[in-house]
Amino acid sequence: MRIALRYLWLYSAFGLVLGSVYFALTQEWVGAVALWFLGMMPLIVAVWWARHGPSSAVHAADDPDGDPSASAGESLGSFPTATAWPLFLVLGVIVTGASLVYGLLLLPAGAALLVWSIVGLARESRG
Amino acid sequence: MSLTAERSTPAPAPAERPHDGPVAWITTTDHKKLGVMYCVTAFAFFLIGGALAGAMRAELADTGGQLIGPQAYNTLFTVHGIIMIFLFVAPFGVGLANYLVPLQIGAPDMAFPRVNAMGYWFFAGGGLLVLLSSFASDAGGVATGWYLYPPLSGPRYSPGVGPDLLILGLALVAISTVMSGVNVITTTFLMRAPGMTMWRLPVFTWNVVVTAILGLVAFPPAVAAFVLLLFDRRLGGQAFDPLGGGDPIVYQHLFWFLGHPEVYILILPFFGVITETIPVFSRKPLFGYTGFILATLAIGALSTGVWAHHMFTTGVVDNPFFSAMTFTIAVPTGVKFFNWIGTMWGGKLAFRVPMLFSIGFLLNFLIGGVTGVMLASAPLDFQLADSYFLVSHFHYTMMGGSVFGIFAAIYFWWPKAFGYRLSERLGRSVFVLMFVGFNLTFWPQFVVGLRGMPRRIVDYAPGLGWDTPNLVSSLGVVVLSAGVVLFLVDAFTSRRRRTPAGDDPWGGFSLEWATTSPPPENNFSSLPRIRSERPAFDMRHPEFTPGSSVTTAEEPS
Repeated sequence: MRIALRYLWLYSAFGLVLGSVYFALTQEWVGAVALWFLGMMPLIVAVWWARHGPSSAVHAADDPDGDPSASAGESLGSFPTATAWPLFLVLGVIVTGASLVYGLLLLPAGAALLVWSIVGLARESRG
Repeated sequence: MSLTAERSTPAPAPAERPHDGPVAWITTTDHKKLGVMYCVTAFAFFLIGGALAGAMRAELADTGGQLIGPQAYNTLFTVHGIIMIFLFVAPFGVGLANYLVPLQIGAPDMAFPRVNAMGYWFFAGGGLLVLLSSFASDAGGVATGWYLYPPLSGPRYSPGVGPDLLILGLALVAISTVMSGVNVITTTFLMRAPGMTMWRLPVFTWNVVVTAILGLVAFPPAVAAFVLLLFDRRLGGQAFDPLGGGDPIVYQHLFWFLGHPEVYILILPFFGVITETIPVFSRKPLFGYTGFILATLAIGALSTGVWAHHMFTTGVVDNPFFSAMTFTIAVPTGVKFFNWIGTMWGGKLAFRVPMLFSIGFLLNFLIGGVTGVMLASAPLDFQLADSYFLVSHFHYTMMGGSVFGIFAAIYFWWPKAFGYRLSERLGRSVFVLMFVGFNLTFWPQFVVGLRGMPRRIVDYAPGLGWDTPNLVSSLGVVVLSAGVVLFLVDAFTSRRRRTPAGDDPWGGFSLEWATTSPPPENNFSSLPRIRSERPAFDMRHPEFTPGSSVTTAEEPS
């Protein structure tokens, strides 16, 4: 985890420094802002991770002598069953987007499909 | 000494996941099925994009109009580019990442399986819209080139719904990329098996992690540009319309802030692929693992600072800055060549089909890379921009590199995914046809490019020295296509024959070779101890395990 965190710090520093150098040389705003955001995004994650993440504790994966039995019986989280909601959600997005192209008549159908699938996903039902 | 330890993981309700049939595939959240779905869908797009390329080469085989009118030709090269970049190479890498990352790090699935499924459907839906934009549009297909530059892509010069559908489709594909990127990063950072430290991660996984980060960085600005363009087209916006105070150059910046990292999004997973295959078929560990990873990280970072070398000829960007950044990125790429050559050097090379495609990758990508360095020089770029030299350079990196990497991956991991092998004999023929066909197709394009032939033209005058190279190039496509068709024959006949492959047919190094072929639900019934970046090798050969008291001088062949 320390390696991942270090990578985020470095990537963040790279974006901020390169953005500043680029702006100093070119005074061009679009690229400079993009590069500054390139630095800001990993910075947000890195700061959160440094304060709240599991970096301080040794994660079993980061222990070079870690043994698979170390995680025996440990819950690895729950894995969802089959579900059709992702497909319906994407259909909803397509129909909603198509309303911008083909006319707002499609909007209610797209929005209904979207809401229906989001509720289905939130309920974690199979669909 | 036993190297495996039981991992008593609670089985997460396998009965609730139907295993076969179309419904099981459509509703799946299993990373392996989704990985296969990504790869199969992307390959179908490859066949469509390839057919479009074949039509273009048929038209260009001779002077004079043969088959296709100018507007249809514009649509062909536009859709060909978009399909190959956004719907084939990149999603194929995502499919491989989906299939392999959990297996390579010892995880039971991706961190967010439903998001993973959603990512696939966003990709498939986006792809469908892209196809619709090309063939089912009232005012003809999109004919703007794959950059969609305004003002050409604006409402004045590209009326009709084609560009709108294309923009929506690309936005959906971008969302899909972001979703899969979040999944890959989270899974790799948080779900590695005990002992799988970051410095033991397989190189493929490292490469797709960097690719995922690039996807998160690069796609949002492009989506912003696409949405602004859609507003300009549909809602009377003027973001890119100079008459209304807009600036089309802003679009170019936003697009290429995606466009150049995208090149690395397309190639990095396949750097990873051949870095898995070359050590296995050289019977040696990777030469310079740490250097390779650092080079990947450097490429990931530097690739975000080179976007405007695509805009040298606009005259409004700082050419020396982008020239220098582009030259710099060649250095870590060169480091990788040392890694690959150093790995093969002194190894016991086995020229199996995945290795042949990997070597083909090296040769082709080297040519693509060197010509890329030439184009990084702004004075040369002014001469060669928009010529066939550029087309050939791009195809040597993307097709000679990524597509050969894709075929290396297919032949290498097919036995793991399906439990049976593809034919070695047919595979060699596929490689020969593709390698010869590819070079016949694209080498003459360097020649006509240097002789001044511009790209994106449907016809050319005779007597300019362009005729013969164009004919050879078109004949090359026939050979190349024969290779692809033979691969389909191989896939079909092997599926009928189903020669069992065993769990580890190649003597693989990384963790996926330590489980069954195909892997069970949730991937592993037991995990080996992980003490190096080659856990499957360590499991088979405990005498080489670091810290083991049993050592010998040579590795088994």
